[in-house]
Amino acid sequence: MNVTSTPAQAVAELRAAGTDLSERRRSGVSTGPLIDIASGRYGISWGDDGTATLGALTTIAAIAADARLGAAYPGIAASAQGIATPQVRNLATLGGNLAQRSRCWYFRNPGIDCLKKGGSNCPARSGNHLYGVAFDLGPCVAPHPSTMAVALLAYDARITTERRDGLTITELLGDGSNGRADHALLPGEMITKIVLPALQTGEHATYKRAISRTHAEWALVEVCARVEIVDGTFRFVRLAAGGIAPVPLRLTACERTLQGMSANAAVIAEAAKQATSGANPLPMTGYKLDLLQGLVRDILERLAA
Amino acid sequence: MSTTTINGRVESLPDDPEALLVDVIRDRLNLTGTKLVCGSGVCGACTVLLDGEPVVSCLLPAGATAGKKLTTIEGIGDGKLHPIQKAFMAHDALQCGFCTPGFVVEATAFHRRWRAAQGTAIPSREEIAAALSGHLCRCGAYEGIYRAVAAACAGRFDGDDPIAPRVEAYDKVTGLARYTVDIRHEGQLEGVILRAPVAHARITDLDLAPARAVPGVAAVVSLLADDQMVRFVGTPIAAVAAKDRRSALEAIAAIKLNREELAAVIGLDAARREDAPVVFEKKDRKRAGNVSELNGAPTSWKGNVHGPSAPFSQKGKRARRLLAEAREACDPLLIEETFRVSTQQHACLEPHAAVARFDGDRLTVHVSTQAVHDTMEKIAKRYKLPRDKVRVIADHVGGGFGSKGSLGVETIAAIELARAAKAPVRIAFDREEELSVTGYRPAAELKLSLLPSVQGGLKALSLTAFADTGVAVNSMIAGLARLIYPAQAKELVDFDVLSNLPPGSPFRGPGGPPMAFALEQAVDEAALRMKVDPIDLRKRWDPDPNRQRLYDWASGLDVWRNREPASSRSGRYRRGVGVASGYWLYIWQPGSSIELAIKDARIIASCAVQDIGTGTRSVIANTVAKAFDLEPQDIEVRIGHSNLPEGPGSGGSRVTASIVPPTLLAIEKLKMEMERTRARPPIAGSNAPWRELIAASPDLVVSARRPPDSKAPADIKSPVRQLGLMGLVFGWMLRNFNNIVVGAGMPSSVQVMEVEVDTWLGHVRVLNAYVGLAIGKLAAPTLARSQAAGALIQGIGYALYETRETDPSTGQVLSASMDDYRIPGIADMPRLEVHFDETGFDHVPGGSVGAGEVATVPTSPAIANAICNAIGVRLTEIPFRPDRLVAALKGRAAA
Repeated sequence: MNVTSTPAQAVAELRAAGTDLSERRRSGVSTGPLIDIASGRYGISWGDDGTATLGALTTIAAIAADARLGAAYPGIAASAQGIATPQVRNLATLGGNLAQRSRCWYFRNPGIDCLKKGGSNCPARSGNHLYGVAFDLGPCVAPHPSTMAVALLAYDARITTERRDGLTITELLGDGSNGRADHALLPGEMITKIVLPALQTGEHATYKRAISRTHAEWALVEVCARVEIVDGTFRFVRLAAGGIAPVPLRLTACERTLQGMSANAAVIAEAAKQATSGANPLPMTGYKLDLLQGLVRDILERLAA
Repeated sequence: MSTTTINGRVESLPDDPEALLVDVIRDRLNLTGTKLVCGSGVCGACTVLLDGEPVVSCLLPAGATAGKKLTTIEGIGDGKLHPIQKAFMAHDALQCGFCTPGFVVEATAFHRRWRAAQGTAIPSREEIAAALSGHLCRCGAYEGIYRAVAAACAGRFDGDDPIAPRVEAYDKVTGLARYTVDIRHEGQLEGVILRAPVAHARITDLDLAPARAVPGVAAVVSLLADDQMVRFVGTPIAAVAAKDRRSALEAIAAIKLNREELAAVIGLDAARREDAPVVFEKKDRKRAGNVSELNGAPTSWKGNVHGPSAPFSQKGKRARRLLAEAREACDPLLIEETFRVSTQQHACLEPHAAVARFDGDRLTVHVSTQAVHDTMEKIAKRYKLPRDKVRVIADHVGGGFGSKGSLGVETIAAIELARAAKAPVRIAFDREEELSVTGYRPAAELKLSLLPSVQGGLKALSLTAFADTGVAVNSMIAGLARLIYPAQAKELVDFDVLSNLPPGSPFRGPGGPPMAFALEQAVDEAALRMKVDPIDLRKRWDPDPNRQRLYDWASGLDVWRNREPASSRSGRYRRGVGVASGYWLYIWQPGSSIELAIKDARIIASCAVQDIGTGTRSVIANTVAKAFDLEPQDIEVRIGHSNLPEGPGSGGSRVTASIVPPTLLAIEKLKMEMERTRARPPIAGSNAPWRELIAASPDLVVSARRPPDSKAPADIKSPVRQLGLMGLVFGWMLRNFNNIVVGAGMPSSVQVMEVEVDTWLGHVRVLNAYVGLAIGKLAAPTLARSQAAGALIQGIGYALYETRETDPSTGQVLSASMDDYRIPGIADMPRLEVHFDETGFDHVPGGSVGAGEVATVPTSPAIANAICNAIGVRLTEIPFRPDRLVAALKGRAAA
């Protein structure tokens, strides 16, 4: 819709496939200079030690369909399969997924100012934040949109840019306290590749999102989980969640509770309550805590089965 | 300059890095089969194949396709029909057709992968749904799409071209069908509307000169009302026509305006407060829009509240007294509840659009409209033009659902810009405009009290509705509760609550679904308390003969007979079964006329009606073909042009009942004419006498107007008479001011839903839907079923997903993208059984009435009742999103 006010924006944005940026160009939310990523790393390669390296321009569809990746890192493949739609997955890149901007409907509306557009406050906080955070870690209440970031957090992935090497997801995206940005990349800094560390064998992993329809919806809450169960006991548990905070979060209290415990439904039901430990939901987002607990329970039960 | 190969042809790509593929395909190459809808990669209407893989062209920079191979809908099948296209035609996997090219392109890619890997095995619904999860169809053709894709994969369409039940299906599956947004005249300009960024203001100064100075701009016009007021975000201020969209956008950004900002009030609750800013001062009240297709009864105003309007109350005071007494006595059967329904957007996939062109003193306007004839009349009146100088055209319309029934600002602006620029001008709304300022079904708060009698009858009903109508009036929700479940007394009161939001508008069965949402849940609750089967209670309380037969059908369903009480359910996933009932009025439009001609040995049927996906072409073709033992494809149907004989608007489910009777009359006349002019008798023993007679006939023309109905049997009541004196007044007003007649008998629907609730993730899935419909004889059976399925899926969207969200302080619509305004996808379509009861309208010539609206009325309460049966909690507010489900479940646990 066409209104007179257009937000000021000067910083150049990088464009990979454009699946996020094109919409913001059309709406007028993104008006600054544009830099097309002319060349970059595409595809999946494997180290002798079992590490996988994903080029930043690898498409989400390629990650979702890669059989070896699916066997070695099922949580990564399952996450990729859960993203967007087939026609978007065929275009969208891993690097772009990590560097995409917020889905907040105030941010996406060209007629409204907000922190991420240079404004002085977050209009969603006092306004309609139905899809906002339940872990309120900074001035902006929009959850981070990247599903792959959740999965990469669960796998301790390291990110390389043209300028820096070995960044963790937390270093890439920040701690959520900077309401103005969706990531901590420097202006013009481009992600080049993502390295997944080698894993111990015997673990299971998966991903699931809670949404209202059956398919193709931004996650209300999403969880990527890895577990290793030995002799009916959780030897290793890793839980990363999205949709709930300005950055993907590890559910460490829940992980700790499960460590060394029997992998049965009763233990899981009890431990899932810890998934929301430390949460401070907004007036409209309390439901996300129920969904988070339900999702953790769902995923752990399936992995323990 | 780089190039790409599109459908086998090398095409140059623009150097502009901002150019997106969809615009290059549509605007530069004129391959208009690819549609632009959401612009955000959600709906899939723009899907093309990039090196064989489906991608969204609306987000893809054109330059990224350099050196690659692209296939659009026009390149599918290499000049022949692809099996997927044939299957879509045969299974009626389309309605308005606007999403169809995208679905077809994607489905061909799935078909290729499937056949390579699985041969002619049949894919499951889940596999098809996952493959097509990036596509949205607002008409709700999903059931046909499932069948079509499965059948094509199984190899059933590898052979000859099929006969399609929808006569224009070929044009829609090949991308040939041209919609308003596809029209390109020589020298055509692009128009854009400047809209208000604030919810309430007075424009004190508007300077259009800077816009005129922008290169490429041909015309700028003001759209401000004479009071210079802005009363909602998005109020049209001015419009610009320029050589392209980018120049037009630059020009509107250059317009200078000063405004005096006024305090705004947003939404139902804020607007009812004592100290709320007032949207319309007394002198301005006549400026309020109309959410109804009809005129409202006169009523009073208090601040932002317009009402009470209670023309259909029946012994209202007595109802109030009976209910007060029951309340006083703590009557355990007294049911009192407040329900809330949400704002539903039409979300037409083709946006509101118009292309205006003057040729001397003649004006031609292509409009995406539900009423070509009426729009022509309104344009002629507004611009004081002779009617024969105005031509309104809508060959194909990409959905309407009630939002395209009146003369809209897109048409007004296109005409005024075209006149000023002396060149054709197109205006097509962007998705944000479409999802914020083109109307909606208003949200409402519904206060209901229902009192059964000790004898088991219905004693009293009170329903008061407060509708969240934005800057419009005339919502009627509560009043519709008069025509179902007779009681000793009913108090039915409607209020409009105005605020600084865009105006509501008619939407498929206006007022019906909200009314049913409250009333049908209350009846369900009464059955629970009275320990009566909910269908039996409806049979007892609802004497309508059409619904009586549908209740018998529903009672006999296995899913109903095997239903268990809510108390028996536990565990994470809980299934439940619910029922609800609904009706709509049977209306027809006097003056509706059909011309039948034989020309060059072919029958041509003509009417200034339009097909918005409902199947009007096919209804006419079927009716004529049947009378002459021909196939529908043999009949040439000319519609969508206002210079044809007067036709009805596609609203109020009036079309079938308006056009079938004159068509039957015209058929008789044509047969008589043929008899009269016949040169020689038919060949003895011929098995196709009509075909031969037509082939031998001289050119003939006959026409007929809609005849009145014959007298209905005593048990088929006229709603107007049931309403007493007010009904007669109402009927008279409708006839004289709205040119519609309310006929006898009620189109009815009884629906049974089976749902599954995931109590952990708050997710509701409708597993099975059983739709009983009494709409008389089916003029086009396959298409009637498609209408039923579409109404159902829109009802499911209303119940489970859809809601317009606004910012409470600025009045900006937040859900103005297809990401945030959530319409159902293919996987959300349940398995469907449709039962048609074809009796009840034999007094209508042809016996057919409309299907479009009635089937969406009972869907949301049937789902609500099923959820209540599943989890033992009655949810009173839609949509039933995960947040509401988990809260309701928790509430019960806490209690």
